[in-house]
Amino acid sequence: MPTKLPPITDIWVYLSGSPLLALVLTLSAYLIGLTLYERSQRNPIANPVLIAVVLVAGSIQLLEMPYAKYFEGAQFVHFLLGTATVSLAAPIYKGWATLKSRFLPLLIALIAGGITSIATAVGVAKALGVDDTLVRGLLAKSVTAPIAMGISERMGASPTLTAIFAMITGVLGAILGRFVFNALGVHLWWQRGFAIGVAAHGIGTSRAFSVHPQAGAYASLGMGIHGILGVVLIPLLASLL
Amino acid sequence: MIQGLVQLFLFQALGELLSKLLLPMIPGPVLGLICLLTMLVIRGRTPEHIELVSQGILQHLGLLFIPASVGVVLYLPLLAANAWAIGCALLVSVVATLGVTAWTLKQLGRHSTEDEVHHAD
Repeated sequence: MPTKLPPITDIWVYLSGSPLLALVLTLSAYLIGLTLYERSQRNPIANPVLIAVVLVAGSIQLLEMPYAKYFEGAQFVHFLLGTATVSLAAPIYKGWATLKSRFLPLLIALIAGGITSIATAVGVAKALGVDDTLVRGLLAKSVTAPIAMGISERMGASPTLTAIFAMITGVLGAILGRFVFNALGVHLWWQRGFAIGVAAHGIGTSRAFSVHPQAGAYASLGMGIHGILGVVLIPLLASLL
Repeated sequence: MIQGLVQLFLFQALGELLSKLLLPMIPGPVLGLICLLTMLVIRGRTPEHIELVSQGILQHLGLLFIPASVGVVLYLPLLAANAWAIGCALLVSVVATLGVTAWTLKQLGRHSTEDEVHHAD
């Protein structure tokens, strides 16, 4: 008699107890997302992270794996968010010289944009009777996701909702930017780039880089300083609303 | 590579410490970012190992917020009940933010000869 293989349920119990399953799930979903994104010629609609989130969420529902269990394994990926936030200093520093040359217009535009972002999102959502938990999740959505999640957490809002809203905002901004700028007759690349960085953070920035290098550089700067100032200004504005 | 990673971790830890002790309203990693940025401005350049690691991490920044975003499964009923309204709020907000930021720059910005212009497509 050959030794019997352990029943499949035993293997399952072993796998679902280790972080391996959650990590493999997360990384492979991201790889699928990236592949589809490349195949679509980097169309912002095929956002790799949104695709990955849908895939992972679907898989854990199918596997009947509670979210807390999944997160226990995936937290090793999640941990690096803090490190990634610190490393944003490098691209911000790159834009430093540029920032100095146009400090005042950029700062004023950023503050105007930041206030508009919060006021319109909260205004429309409240007018349409959206649940308060969701409204609080909207506050930081124009800021780059790693920082936005931190801001939400400190304000007692849901970092998860903020990350999702930030991604949708990024995708919408990357798609709609050119139409808004053309309609307003804004034709300078640095102005178009900065505006998309402020409104649509990382996703808008990668779109800007793929269109024009100067637009990309200013988008990166807009996203960076919106992140830093947002940390102070968003909780302040939220307390006024 | 490792050297850069260790430095980023140190700045992250410094940020967490400052957040705990002095500025609880600001998340630790953001304080770490500000400390690192200050160091870069003082030094006047980005050390190669930090450049290398930060590029590597930021290239796949999106991967890092998948675990938290998957938590959306806990909010599905709430989101489904408010889907249209949230969609409207996000759409109006992003268009207004793009418009106001770009329009403000257009009013304030001076033309410099180095600036390149987008030609209608």
